[in-house]
Amino acid sequence: MLWTIDPARDEPLFTQIAAQVRAAVSAGELHTGDRLPPARVLASSLDVNVHTVLRAYQDLRDEGLVDLRRGRGAVISAHPDYTALAAPVAALVDAARTAGVSPAVAVALLQNAFHQNPED
Amino acid sequence: MTALATPVRTPVPHRLSSTLLGLVLPVALLAGGALVALSWRDELPDPVATHWGTDGPDGFSSFGGALAPLLLGLVLCVGAWAMAFWAGRDGAMRRIAVATSAGLGTLFALILLGTLSAQRGLADAAQAPGVGGTIVGALLGALAVGIAAALLVPRDAPLPTSARVDPDAPRVPLSATQRAAWSRTVTAPAAVVSAVVAITASVVLVVALGAWPVLVVPVILAALLAVTLVWRVTVDDKGLQARSLVGWPTVRVPLDEVERAAVVDVRPLREFGGWGYRLGRGGRSALALRAGQAVEVHRTGGRVLVVTVDDAATAAALLNTLADRARA
Repeated sequence: MLWTIDPARDEPLFTQIAAQVRAAVSAGELHTGDRLPPARVLASSLDVNVHTVLRAYQDLRDEGLVDLRRGRGAVISAHPDYTALAAPVAALVDAARTAGVSPAVAVALLQNAFHQNPED
Repeated sequence: MTALATPVRTPVPHRLSSTLLGLVLPVALLAGGALVALSWRDELPDPVATHWGTDGPDGFSSFGGALAPLLLGLVLCVGAWAMAFWAGRDGAMRRIAVATSAGLGTLFALILLGTLSAQRGLADAAQAPGVGGTIVGALLGALAVGIAAALLVPRDAPLPTSARVDPDAPRVPLSATQRAAWSRTVTAPAAVVSAVVAITASVVLVVALGAWPVLVVPVILAALLAVTLVWRVTVDDKGLQARSLVGWPTVRVPLDEVERAAVVDVRPLREFGGWGYRLGRGGRSALALRAGQAVEVHRTGGRVLVVTVDDAATAAALLNTLADRARA
């Protein structure tokens, strides 16, 4: 998969890296069992510290998207169907842009919607 | 028509070393083997044993017939040397061809000398002892000479270019501050199948013959195939790299030697005569692990490297983009 990071953006690099994995899973590019590049390899390719990549992989492990095992590296684990969200998320982004709503506000609205309708 | 510059075909480099290591050395070994065998001629039984079954020798031939395999060895060595001499633009390809030639020369010479030396002084070739040890020794000797020759083959000199990548070649949109990399693994299904077949067959053969020392053959086969089963292909600001998941070997094109990259469809058997790290027509080298899409990298010095991998379009586009950016 294609990995891009932008040091000029405010978002920390490890967040950007984790976001790429989530996006690739949601786009159906990465599947359960797929192996992510070793942290050392990806860090060298993107010219970042290896701990930055490890931090991203650890965050993904904490949310249950990645299995981190010594000797096996990072592997996409069994996870909810992220691809189901791809179309609605794209629609939300489109709608926000059309309406001139900023990304921060759109995200806040989305969070609020989750809080308003908590799962029982 | 796109205005692609016709690649300048630079002459194949290092022809002298390819000839010394890939032709002179193996021919000397084969000739030396023949001469030593000739010096033993009076001590050898007539006919001599040339083939062994489960219960000792089961095939016999005249002294001249026993030397005939050297001719096969010669043909194979000359063939491998010719590949290095005429198609060896790529250092790795030259190394493989030269090592094959030097190793085969050693193998044929040692097997001849090993089987004949055991028959010196015998009245009847049927009394010749088993050859398991000779075969293992010859294989290990061939491996050692092949590796030594490979190490002596000169590497490619760096050949950077500052020419811009063809503007019509595919690109990835990247902002000036963005860093990008692409990485993907590719598995060789043919290698898995052939690994299982070859290893099973040789183990069965070893058990059937009871030639336990020859067990080294399936072990070497298994090791060779294991390192070529799964590869990780990476494109980043250093260029393109394909590395076996074991960590060795590695195939690499530095970014400053990339002229352009494109997507091609590869049929390994038809275009490269098989799977693995192969040489195709026109000196095109390939890491052909499966049929289907591949990145084709045109490299300075008239070299072309093809790597079969999924999502090759992104890999090629990123390679073009990064190469161009480094030369801006």
